[in-house]
Amino acid sequence: MQAALGAPDTTGTRRPGVIGWLMMTPMLLWLFAFVIAPTLILLVYSFCQRDDLGEVVYVFTWDNYRRIFFDSDTGAFGTTYLTVFVRSVVYAGLTTIICLIVGYPVAWFIGRAPESRRNLLLTLVMIPFWTSFLIRTYAWITILSTNGLLNGFLQYTKLIAEPFEMLYTPGAVVLGLVYSYLPFLILPVYGSVEKLDNSLVEAAFDLGAGPMRAFQKVILPLTQPGVIAGVLLVFIPAIGMFAISQLMGGGTDPTIGEVIQNQFMQARDWPFGAALGMTLVVLFAVAFWFTSRHQSVVEN
Amino acid sequence: MKTIRFVLALTLLAATALPSYGQAKKKSVLNLFCWSEYVPQEVIDGFAKETGIKVNVENYASNEEMLSKLLAGGSKYDLVQPSEYTVESLIKAEKLEPLTAENIPNLKNLDPKFAKMPHDPEGKYSVPWMAGTVGIVVNTAKVKTPITGYKDVFDGTHKRRIVVLNDSREIVSWALATLGIGPNDMTPENLDKAKPILSEWLPQVKVYDSDSPKTAFLNGDVDLGIVWSGEAAILWKKDKKFTYVLPAEGAHQFIDSLCVPKGAPNKENAEKFINYILKPEVSVLISKEFPYTNPNAEAVKLLKPEQRANPASYPSGDLKLETFKDIGKAAKDIDKVVTDLKGRKAR
Amino acid sequence: MELVNLLCAGWSGVVFLFLYLPIVLLVVYSFNASELSIIWGGFSFEWYEKLWNNGPLIDATKNSLIIAAVTTVLSVVLGTVGAWLLYRYKFPALRALGTLIFIPMVIPEVIMGVSMLILFTVVAVPLNAWLGTFTEAEFARGFATIIIAHTTFCFPFVLVAVQARLAGVDPFIEEAAMDLGAPPLKAFWLVMVPYLLPAIVSGALMSFTLSMDEVIVTFFVTGPESQTLPLKIFGLAKKGLDPSLNAVSAVFVLATAVLVVVSDRVRKLNR
Repeated sequence: MQAALGAPDTTGTRRPGVIGWLMMTPMLLWLFAFVIAPTLILLVYSFCQRDDLGEVVYVFTWDNYRRIFFDSDTGAFGTTYLTVFVRSVVYAGLTTIICLIVGYPVAWFIGRAPESRRNLLLTLVMIPFWTSFLIRTYAWITILSTNGLLNGFLQYTKLIAEPFEMLYTPGAVVLGLVYSYLPFLILPVYGSVEKLDNSLVEAAFDLGAGPMRAFQKVILPLTQPGVIAGVLLVFIPAIGMFAISQLMGGGTDPTIGEVIQNQFMQARDWPFGAALGMTLVVLFAVAFWFTSRHQSVVEN
Repeated sequence: MKTIRFVLALTLLAATALPSYGQAKKKSVLNLFCWSEYVPQEVIDGFAKETGIKVNVENYASNEEMLSKLLAGGSKYDLVQPSEYTVESLIKAEKLEPLTAENIPNLKNLDPKFAKMPHDPEGKYSVPWMAGTVGIVVNTAKVKTPITGYKDVFDGTHKRRIVVLNDSREIVSWALATLGIGPNDMTPENLDKAKPILSEWLPQVKVYDSDSPKTAFLNGDVDLGIVWSGEAAILWKKDKKFTYVLPAEGAHQFIDSLCVPKGAPNKENAEKFINYILKPEVSVLISKEFPYTNPNAEAVKLLKPEQRANPASYPSGDLKLETFKDIGKAAKDIDKVVTDLKGRKAR
Repeated sequence: MELVNLLCAGWSGVVFLFLYLPIVLLVVYSFNASELSIIWGGFSFEWYEKLWNNGPLIDATKNSLIIAAVTTVLSVVLGTVGAWLLYRYKFPALRALGTLIFIPMVIPEVIMGVSMLILFTVVAVPLNAWLGTFTEAEFARGFATIIIAHTTFCFPFVLVAVQARLAGVDPFIEEAAMDLGAPPLKAFWLVMVPYLLPAIVSGALMSFTLSMDEVIVTFFVTGPESQTLPLKIFGLAKKGLDPSLNAVSAVFVLATAVLVVVSDRVRKLNR
């Protein structure tokens, strides 16, 4: 987590002078104009009400937040939307773990390939994703459906007698997520593997460490920044996604992305959608702050 | 270094593409904000050729998407294409410009059934584009029992073989229909009555899909579904085993319309366009692309017999059809009920 | 060691198969005679012909390419410089800044789209009044707004990738070059950029991909002249995805694959 935060406590870093701030200005301006300003708008909306048409009325209310945590009829603690939050995190977590296991060896392979071929291989990882998301997903649907190619193949080879249900299950959602986010793990891990000193790895092996031990003691710690970056780039966007769970899961188990999408695109309840969004951001920020603090304590 | 030069060249290319926006305005234009692909390119080209008006098209994929951009302001749309309940709320909020009937002589071609409907009682603000229904598609190769209404779909024997529209309001209105309550009576009491029915129904659903429910049918993942008539018509064209049933308890009829938003810069051009699409020979082109119910009586006469025979486009018999009215804030309770019930599993 | 590398190579082969499986399928189905992309109806070139004559689809592809290219350049610059500065200097409230960067990644696209739409609408009125005092040009939704929105959610990906690469590097490495008389920018260019290049390439690839495929945010910030390919495709889905969309993807993938492989060969020959 340290690496991702820019290693604030590394010895040698120092306070920025005039030049430092000057160079930082473009990014700060960008963040203020296009991240902080829209987030503030969102924050304001989350405390507003809506009129019949769905336009936002600027009258203060806590209702949108109350609705997330409490049942509107009984006033008791409600789990409707919390379940949705938890489900999204579980999906994202599973996806991240699988991406890590599947993607790490690929990043290793690309990072250790002859230098002239690395960029070629990296680009090849990415090219499938230059097609449209929707078309890729429909291709998966064609593969996984009851009358689909995979069932057809398994029946043809007599491995199964009856087609079995693959599409529109949580498993299909995770498959879709892993497929979509795998490159975002491979690429940053590659960045760390690539700079790994070959002699260090070989030294570990020469000293008689088995592959497992060498990996655990030498390789993993050295590529950790890349792994953390990859985990962040997969896990964070995966929480908010909605289209994959809708198309490949059949929409039976809504994720937070889907519910928020519905507030804006169906129920016309922007303030509630904004409140759900703000809650997501706050939960994320707390978790992020906590893990990064925990991490620095462990490291020190 | 080569890559950098290449990227720089692309950047320059993009920069030169940017200012083109301002120049198009000097010509006579029509800014059309419509459902994606709902207005055939042939129709747009024909209109541009006949009138010399340049048509700028921007698309959306749902009424709510359209509303959010329209309400945000700052856009100069001349013609939008909302469905009936959205037309009604736009009229209520005074966001539409009344049409000048004299500028649209072809209004006479419309089937009187589709003129002056409840969402626009005087027919002052909207002209119907296409109409359709929400009904039941049955794969008769798999489902042998007769299906006549919502209750038959959810009688428990078709568990996890059902696709429905991913639209909370539609779903709740079906449950209300089985109780004999109209789709526009979304009171909290009625919603409470619908809850137990929905908690029986929703766990039986396998797929929620508003965009392309036909996919699940064609892939063999479902046998029954409650979907748009247009989807049903495409399925029927593909294979006659997919029959379309309008539920006995009553069904939703939707009317997609053309309206001019308040402050439209080119209202006359918008009316010219409305008049153009009301020509029977033009309207037929739209029917060819979209197998919905054409509200243009003169155009229907020109359709091929097999087009008119499609039961999903032109249903016959005694029908209980009702259009949606705007329900305002009740939408939020509906959303909660459906979100809550969706995650539960069938026992 | 050899064995481990061999295993990784084999595994990578399997993963590449997984990544390209749907792509192979969509290429095959682009020759499908049936108009519904999910049923096989015989071999046909029909969709390529249709694609060739589909002006709006080709225009949308061009728009997408332009937007993705500009977004990539902006994201790489913002992300690389940002990561470097955050690493080199101890900025006050750095932790807050670190979290802020992730907001565009964590919030669902629809929220980002709506809030950007509101922002641009609010800004447009005073901005146009000011622009009107000296120029004909007008701020409206279009390429510029799409590029801004895309860059906002793409540059954090570059930043995170570059930061990972920076971990453990001497923060003052480029000062050595400055001591030898190089100005700071040149020192950065000569010392840091080559070292960070693998991460920059990764970041650029991710930015380009994200921008090429984004649809929801784009919908909210687009104007009538800047329809992108994903917007077109999502619209077409309603009517039934016809295989000409497979055709456009197939052409695109094959063209880039050929381009990448050929340029690689050419580079090798030049050596």
